[in-house]
Amino acid sequence: MRQQVSRLTVLFVILIGALVAARIFLVPETFGELGHFRAAAIGDIADLQVKYAGRAACAECHTDVEETRLAGRHASVSCEACHGPAADHAEDPMARQPEKPVGRALCTLCHGYDPSRPTGFPQIDPAIHNPLQPCTACHQPHAPEPPVTPEGCSGCHGQIARTKAVSHHALLPCTTCHTVEEEHKLNPSASRPTKPAARSFCGRCHAPDATPPPDIIQQVPRVDLATHGGHYVCWQCHYPHFPELR
Amino acid sequence: MESHIQTLMEVLQQTKGYIYPNEVELHWGLLVVVYPYVTGLVAGAFILASLERVFNVREVQPTYRLSLLTALAFLLVAPLPLLAHLGHPERSFEIFLTPNLNSAMAMFGFVYAWYLAVVLLLEIWFDYRKDAVIWSRHETGFRRLVHRVFTLGANDLSEHAVRFDRSAGKFITVIGIPSAFLLHGYVGFIFGSVKANPWWSSVLIPVVFLFSAMVSGIALILILYMLTSLFRRMEIDMRCADKLGSFLFYALIIDFSLEMLDFIHRLYEAEESIGILSQMISSRLFISLVVLQILLGTVVPLVLLGIFSPAFHTRAFVHAPAELRRLIYFCAAILIEVGIFSTRWNVVIGGQIFSKSLRGLTVYKVELLGLEGLLTSVFLLILPFVILYVLVKFLPPWPEAEAAAPSEPNS
Ligand code: HEC
Ligand code: HEC
Ligand code: HEC
Ligand code: HEC
Ligand code: HEC
Ligand code: HEC
Ligand code: HEC
Ligand code: HEC
Repeated sequence: MRQQVSRLTVLFVILIGALVAARIFLVPETFGELGHFRAAAIGDIADLQVKYAGRAACAECHTDVEETRLAGRHASVSCEACHGPAADHAEDPMARQPEKPVGRALCTLCHGYDPSRPTGFPQIDPAIHNPLQPCTACHQPHAPEPPVTPEGCSGCHGQIARTKAVSHHALLPCTTCHTVEEEHKLNPSASRPTKPAARSFCGRCHAPDATPPPDIIQQVPRVDLATHGGHYVCWQCHYPHFPELR
Repeated sequence: MESHIQTLMEVLQQTKGYIYPNEVELHWGLLVVVYPYVTGLVAGAFILASLERVFNVREVQPTYRLSLLTALAFLLVAPLPLLAHLGHPERSFEIFLTPNLNSAMAMFGFVYAWYLAVVLLLEIWFDYRKDAVIWSRHETGFRRLVHRVFTLGANDLSEHAVRFDRSAGKFITVIGIPSAFLLHGYVGFIFGSVKANPWWSSVLIPVVFLFSAMVSGIALILILYMLTSLFRRMEIDMRCADKLGSFLFYALIIDFSLEMLDFIHRLYEAEESIGILSQMISSRLFISLVVLQILLGTVVPLVLLGIFSPAFHTRAFVHAPAELRRLIYFCAAILIEVGIFSTRWNVVIGGQIFSKSLRGLTVYKVELLGLEGLLTSVFLLILPFVILYVLVKFLPPWPEAEAAAPSEPNS
C-alpha cells in the first residue's frame, strides 16, 4: 500500500473509531425509546419545580379579590398574568409577597394600541392616555370600570358593540337583527334574543328590489340573492357585526 | 422583563398593518445572515480552485492554493454563527451521535464533516505534502514540528509518490465539486423547503444560492489575490486577474438571470402573497434589495466587468491599462461582496419581516452588543482572515515557496 494511503487510513480509522466509541459511551441510555429524544427527559421535566399556582389556588385565600375579578371585565385574566408566578407564595404566604404591578408597563402590554389585536378590544395610546399617572390611579385593576357606564346591549356585549361601531353596519341598531325581550337584560339565559335564520333576512336590505327602512340613508350595496354566495347563509362569509368584503 | 417590554413596545410602534404576536420579534437575526454568507464563500472559493485542477484553466493557477486555504479558513468559521445563535456549543457534537435523518438541519453536521475532512483537508494535504516534507527538512523548532505532524510521517518523495499525490488530489477535486454544490445547495434547501413561507419556499432558491456562492467566492479570491500581491510587493499576474474578472462576469450573469427568473415567476404567478411581498420590497427592503443587491451589487459590477474584462473576446470592449483594470476589478469585487451579503440579508431577514397573515410588516432591530449582536457578527467575519493569516504562515500558497523544492518541480 502507498505510504500516504496507509497513513490516512490510520487517521480515518482513529476518527471513525472515536465516533463509534462516543456513540457507545455518550448517547444517553434511554435515547430513542420513545422517539428521537431521551425518554428519561420526561421524568426530569416532570420533576421541575412548578412556578405557577393557578387561579384556583389564589381564590382559596383571596376570596374577596377573586369575587371582584369575576364580576368585572378582567374575569378572563388570571391572577398570575399580572402578579407573576406565585406558587411559592401560595404554598407559604409569608415566604414572599408577589409583586404589585402598579406602573403603566404591565397594563399597556395588553391595552397599548396594536392593530393586530381583535377589533373591539379596549385599547389606548399610552402616550396620550393620561400619561405620567399609574393606571391604577383611575382603574381598579381587579374590576376595571368601563369608561362610561354602557347602556343597553353594550353593557354586556361590549366587544360586539365596539366591533360593530367601526363597521359598515355601525348605524344599524342591534334590534334591527335581534328581537330582544326586556327579560333578557335582567336574566339573559332565561330569554334568548332571536338571531337571523335565513338568507332572506339580509335580503330585506341587500336584495336588488328591497326597500330598506326609511332611516337608512346610505346607499345599500345590492346582491342577487339567487346566485350570490350559493346556498350558504350570508354570515358564513360575512361576519354580520363587521361585514367585510373578503 | 421591564427592559424587554420596553424594546417590544419600541418595535411595536414601527410595525405596520396586522401581524401575529409571535412575529413581532425576529427569531433569526444577523448571525443567521452571516452563516449562509460564509458558507457561500467557502463553496465559491473551492469551486474556483477546482477550475484549475479539473478543467485545467491555467491562468488561475496563481490563486489555486490561496483558494483552498481561504475555503478552509472560512469553513472553520462557518458553523460558529450557528453555534452562537443556538447557544450551548458544547452540545453541538451530539448531532453526530444521534443522527436525525428526518431533519435537514440536523444533517448539516454530516455535510459539513464530509466537506471538511474528506474534501478540503485531504485535498490540501495531498497538495502540500511534498512541500511540507521538504520544508520540514531544513527547518527548526515549532515550524518543523507543525510540518512534520502535517505530513503524518508520509515522507516518501519518489516521483511515483508525488505523482500519486497529484492524481489523488485531482480525484478528490472531482468529488469535491458536487460536495461544494451540496454544501451550499443544502443551505439554500433549508430555506427553500420552508413551505409556509412564500418568500423562501421556491425550488430555485438552492440554485440561486449556489451561483451567488460562486460569485462571492470568486470575488473574494480576486480581492485576496490583489491584496496579498500588494503586501508582498509582487507583480499581479494580469492574465489571472483578467480570467477571474471574466469568470466573475459569467457567474454573475447566471446568478442574476436566475434571480430575475425567480422574481418574474413570482410576479406572474401572483399568488396571494404577492401584495405583501411587493410592499415589503418597496418599503423595508428597498435599500438592501433594490439599491444594494440589485443596483450596486449586480448591475454596476456587471457593466464594469462587461466593459473592461475580456469576457466576450480575448480583448475587452474598452482596453484599459492594467493599472485601471486592477482598480476596476477590485471595486467590482468589493461591490459584489456587499451585494451578496445583502442577498443573504434579504433572504433571511426578508423572510421574517412580513406577517404570515400577509397583512403586515414588522421591523428588525440589529443589536450592537450581545451574542447575537453586530459586534459578534463583525468578529465572525474578521476571524476567517486571522485564520487564513495563520494558515498562510505555515502553508505558504505562493509559487516561490513551492519553487524552493530541491527535487524536480514537476509543473
Ligand atoms: C394560603 C393562603 C394564600 C394563598 C393560596 C395566596 N395568598 Fe396571597 N397573600 C396571602 C396572605 C396571608 C398575604 C399577606 C397579606 C398582608 O400582608 O396583608 C398575601 C399577600 C398577597 C399579595 C400582596 C398584597 C400586598 O399588599 O402586598 C398579593 C399580590 C397576593 N397575595 C397575590 C396572590 C396570588 C396571585 C395568589 C395565587 C397564586 C395568592 N396570593 C395565593 C395568602 C395567600
Ligand atoms: C389586571 C392585572 C391584575 C390581575 C388579573 C389581578 N391583579 Fe391583583 N393587583 C393588581 C394591581 C395593579 C394591584 C395593585 C393595586 C394598587 O396597589 O393600587 C393588585 C393588588 C393585589 C392585592 C393587594 C391588595 C389590593 O387589593 O390592593 C392582592 C391581594 C391581589 N392583587 C391579589 C390578586 C388575586 C388573588 C388575583 C386573582 C383572583 C389578582 N390579584 C388578579 C393587578 C392585578
Ligand atoms: C393579560 C392581559 C391584560 C392585562 C395585563 C390587563 N388587562 Fe385590562 N383587559 C383585558 C381583557 C381581556 C379585558 C376585557 C376585554 C373585553 O371585555 O372585551 C380587559 C378590560 C379592561 C378594561 C375595560 C375596558 C372597557 O372598555 O370595558 C379596562 C379599563 C382595563 N382592562 C384596564 C386595565 C388596567 C388598568 C390594567 C393594568 C392594571 C389592565 N387592564 C391589565 C386584558 C388585560
Ligand atoms: C387620570 C385617570 C386615568 C388614568 C391614569 C388611566 N386611565 Fe384609562 N381611562 C380613564 C377614563 C376617564 C376613561 C374613559 C374615557 C376614555 O376613553 O378616555 C378610560 C378608558 C380606558 C380604557 C377603555 C378604552 C376603550 O376604548 O374602551 C382602557 C383600556 C384604559 N383606560 C386603560 C388604561 C391604562 C392601561 C392606563 C395606564 C397606562 C390607564 N387607562 C390610565 C382614566 C384614566
Ligand atoms: C345583562 C347583560 C345583558 C344585556 C344587557 C344584554 N344581553 Fe344579550 N346576552 C347576555 C348573555 C349573558 C348571553 C348569553 C346567554 C347564554 O348563552 O345563556 C346573551 C346572549 C345574547 C344573544 C345570543 C343568543 C343565542 O341564542 O346565542 C343575542 C343575539 C343577544 N344576547 C343580543 C342582545 C341584545 C341585542 C341586547 C340589547 C338589546 C342584549 N343582548 C342585552 C347578556 C346580556
Ligand atoms: C345586521 C344584522 C345584525 C346586527 C345589526 C346585529 N347582529 Fe348580532 N347577530 C347577527 C347574526 C346574523 C348573528 C348569527 C351569527 C351566527 O349564527 O354565526 C348574530 C349573533 C349575535 C350573537 C351571538 C354570538 C355571536 O357572536 O355569534 C350576539 C351575542 C349578538 N349577535 C349580539 C348583537 C349585539 C349586542 C348587537 C348590537 C351591538 C348586534 N348583535 C347587532 C346579526 C346582527
Ligand atoms: C336594515 C338594513 C340592513 C340589513 C338587514 C342588513 N344590512 Fe348589510 N348593509 C346595510 C347598509 C346600509 C350597508 C352599507 C353601509 C355603508 O356603505 O356604509 C350594508 C353593507 C353591507 C355589506 C358591505 C360591506 C362593505 O364592505 O361594503 C355587507 C357584506 C353586508 N352589508 C352584509 C349583510 C349581511 C350578511 C346581512 C344579514 C346578516 C346584512 N348585511 C343585513 C344595511 C343592512
Ligand atoms: C360563499 C361566500 C358568500 C356568501 C354565502 C355570501 N356572500 Fe356576499 N360576498 C362574498 C364575497 C367574496 C363578496 C365580495 C366579492 C363580490 O363583490 O362578489 C361579497 C360581496 C357582498 C356584498 C357587497 C357587494 C358590493 O357590490 O359591494 C354584499 C352587500 C353582500 N355580499 C351581501 C350578502 C348577502 C346579503 C348574503 C346572503 C344572502 C351573502 N352576501 C352571502 C361572499 C359571500
